[in-house]
Amino acid sequence: MRTPLYHEHERLGARIVDFHGWEMPVWYTGIREEHLAVRNSAGLFDASHMGEIRVSGKESAPFLNRVLTRDIPAMPKNRVLYSFFLNEQGGIIDDLTVYCVEPGESYMLCVNASNTENDLRWVIGQNREGAVIEDRSAETALIALQGPDADPIFKDCLNFDPGTLKNYTFTALATVQYGDIMISKTGYTGAGGVEIFLPSEKASGLWSSLVEQGARPCGLGARDTLRLEMGYPLHGNDIDETTTPLEAGLSFAVDLNKPGFIGCEALRRQSEQGVSRRLRGLVLKERGVPRQGFACMKNGQKVGVITSGSVSPLLGTGIALAYLDRTIEEKEEVEIVVRDRHLKSTVVRPPFVKAAGK
Amino acid sequence: MEIPEQLYYTEDHEWGELEDDLMRVGITDYAQHELGDIVFVELVEAGTVVAKGDPIGTVESVKAVSEIYAPVDGEVFEVNGALTDTPELVNQDCYGEAWMVVLKVNDPAQADTLMDARAYQAYVEAEAK
Repeated sequence: MRTPLYHEHERLGARIVDFHGWEMPVWYTGIREEHLAVRNSAGLFDASHMGEIRVSGKESAPFLNRVLTRDIPAMPKNRVLYSFFLNEQGGIIDDLTVYCVEPGESYMLCVNASNTENDLRWVIGQNREGAVIEDRSAETALIALQGPDADPIFKDCLNFDPGTLKNYTFTALATVQYGDIMISKTGYTGAGGVEIFLPSEKASGLWSSLVEQGARPCGLGARDTLRLEMGYPLHGNDIDETTTPLEAGLSFAVDLNKPGFIGCEALRRQSEQGVSRRLRGLVLKERGVPRQGFACMKNGQKVGVITSGSVSPLLGTGIALAYLDRTIEEKEEVEIVVRDRHLKSTVVRPPFVKAAGK
Repeated sequence: MEIPEQLYYTEDHEWGELEDDLMRVGITDYAQHELGDIVFVELVEAGTVVAKGDPIGTVESVKAVSEIYAPVDGEVFEVNGALTDTPELVNQDCYGEAWMVVLKVNDPAQADTLMDARAYQAYVEAEAK
């Protein structure tokens, strides 16, 4: 499958890879350069492969309140929340963002590309309330403009200053050039900026115009190192149907006090009993590259496994996310087994680098 | 893509430069480009005896891990220690400063089993398809 921006990527000479069936740019000139562009100025990502699910009608809020972990009826207009679809065991079917388009009437869910089909099947199967569920993925493009210069670049293109928006809010904007767009003060980089939902046929125009204004095209490679530096989990790596939000340290996105959402019983039990493992950050004290699947050791015992790892382009050291036994505390040392070597690392609380504006 | 005329090449995308019985070895421009940003280089120690095809090091980029193999039989005479601290040199100057090891080769005539620049060019073009 291809996004509406595929030809832009080709034209820019991107290295294209298969990402869960999508032909996506992994980099244009290099992951490091693109990563640093986002941290220091502004980068542009094609996230059009992600899924958009519209849920509307009078039953939309009670339905979503049952399948999501946040208090949906309490969402004000134009608010964005990070949330999950959970299974009965509290495992994460997908992580997503919910957009309150019209309280009690219309919501949009932005879900992971690789899970879109599965998510749709699941929400449709759960929909006993009778909410209206529509797959808007094909007609919706998503461009993420991220970095300290993102807001001014966006303003130059669209004559709207996203600096007026608070984090985790969005606004709908009717434009002459790009039709009806949604500007969201969110992202997956920790560098600030916006994510823009727009009609697929308008995507190329906005993309080119943002590139012209100085935003650097960035591939999935930099998207991955940027999110890892912030400690943001990636579904399929760090979280999946066998891990819960409590284990992953994402309880901020679960409202355990609200009544009866799918998975809440399991999470309440886990919350009372305590988790047996926790997703932690690791910083290498020696040279090396921690990668998914590598074992973590302490005193000759296996105490965990790495779920994501790389070398931080900003710090120049190896960083990783790993599920570690609950007994392992922050600041402790664990060894990472990299082929035949045991590399020393320190347990930390992510982010590994400071987020913008914090 | 740069493929210098005077070098020998392997199917694993290493290059070798033969001078008497010493062969300087590195990875090709194609290889460094395929790997992307190199973040880690680990090489065997000087004195290691290797046969053609034995691993002589590991190169890691953000996305991939790749072994480097001895192009011919010999003994590792010298390793490029600078790559430990500055692995990014491999992206910047793969045929120059980012050489990886120097082998003292058992039989310089074994180099004739490797590809020349023209053959390597054809090999890379075929692989890219």
